[in-house]
Amino acid sequence: MTNFLTNKYFQISLRIILGVIFIYASVGKLFRPEDFAKAILRYEFLPVYFVNIMAIVMPWVEFFTGVLLITGIFKKASSLLAGISLIVFLTALISAFARGLDISCGCFSLEETSTKGDIIYRIVQDVFMLAGAVIVYKFSDTKKAQETVTAEEIN
Amino acid sequence: MKTAKQILIIIVISVISGLAANAINPKGIPLILEKNIYALDTAKQKKTVDGFVNDPYDTTTKKNNNNMLGSTGKKNKEGFIEPENITVELAKNLFDRNALFVDARAKEEYDSVHVKGSINLPHEEFRSKGFNEKSESMKKYNKDGIIVVYCKGGKCEVSIDLAYEIARLGFNSVNIYRGGIAEWKEKGFPVQP
Repeated sequence: MTNFLTNKYFQISLRIILGVIFIYASVGKLFRPEDFAKAILRYEFLPVYFVNIMAIVMPWVEFFTGVLLITGIFKKASSLLAGISLIVFLTALISAFARGLDISCGCFSLEETSTKGDIIYRIVQDVFMLAGAVIVYKFSDTKKAQETVTAEEIN
Repeated sequence: MKTAKQILIIIVISVISGLAANAINPKGIPLILEKNIYALDTAKQKKTVDGFVNDPYDTTTKKNNNNMLGSTGKKNKEGFIEPENITVELAKNLFDRNALFVDARAKEEYDSVHVKGSINLPHEEFRSKGFNEKSESMKKYNKDGIIVVYCKGGKCEVSIDLAYEIARLGFNSVNIYRGGIAEWKEKGFPVQP
């Protein structure tokens, strides 16, 4: 299993998939901070003061994380950052779901519809992405992964 | 440690990019949001509207609603009078006085049930139009007439966005009824079909 997870091509595909999703999610928001701020406000999750700065910065974090994941620069850092972002998104989504908020996610598109939001779908999606980010973080450095295995075997 | 440093670099670059993009963006936003204009609890009963009958189609009347709705008549920095949230009681009161009700939901939703006499301006469609096209489609309505925008109710917010769009066109008394069709029906107020 570890062999498969550390497989170079598997790692590369995983990074590209995650990177593309991150970039895709960010581009619509990079220059529309107002709409994204509204999307964040709908969650009633952050204190109002932080909403705008979050709306200004977060899409760029997503964007750069995506670019780095794809290019393979700062693999550890970008996958860790992706993981942290996903945990934040998941917390917001789950808390919105638990409070019964009927809101659209604001994850990819900022267009909102007045029909029921897609929260559960997004939660599932985020869990899968989080798993991907964890795998990249843990197994991207093949050598190190092998070293760990050897060390365990010795002990 | 190396990873932490790299993360810091990514975040610093993101902050700089974000602030720069926001600064050059004509639609940029202030760094700190002072008040949540989308807050749910700002609905308040305004001045009484007893004895007043609105005519949404009478575009010649200029003093239809002056002081009737507690509107300060003051324009904001962007040059329009901001919509205000209203309670179900006031919404009904305005309904009885022939205010123009605007349904911001999609056509199918509007077709299934809507406030009696309301018009349908699906927000998705409306927002994609250009300013002139928007103006044109609202030309037949009184700019000083009372408009009440609503959507589904609950957490639905297209009514807010649509209300702002309409207010930007120069309509002076745009109101947002957050309770929406859900609360309206629950109260047993008139609906169609």
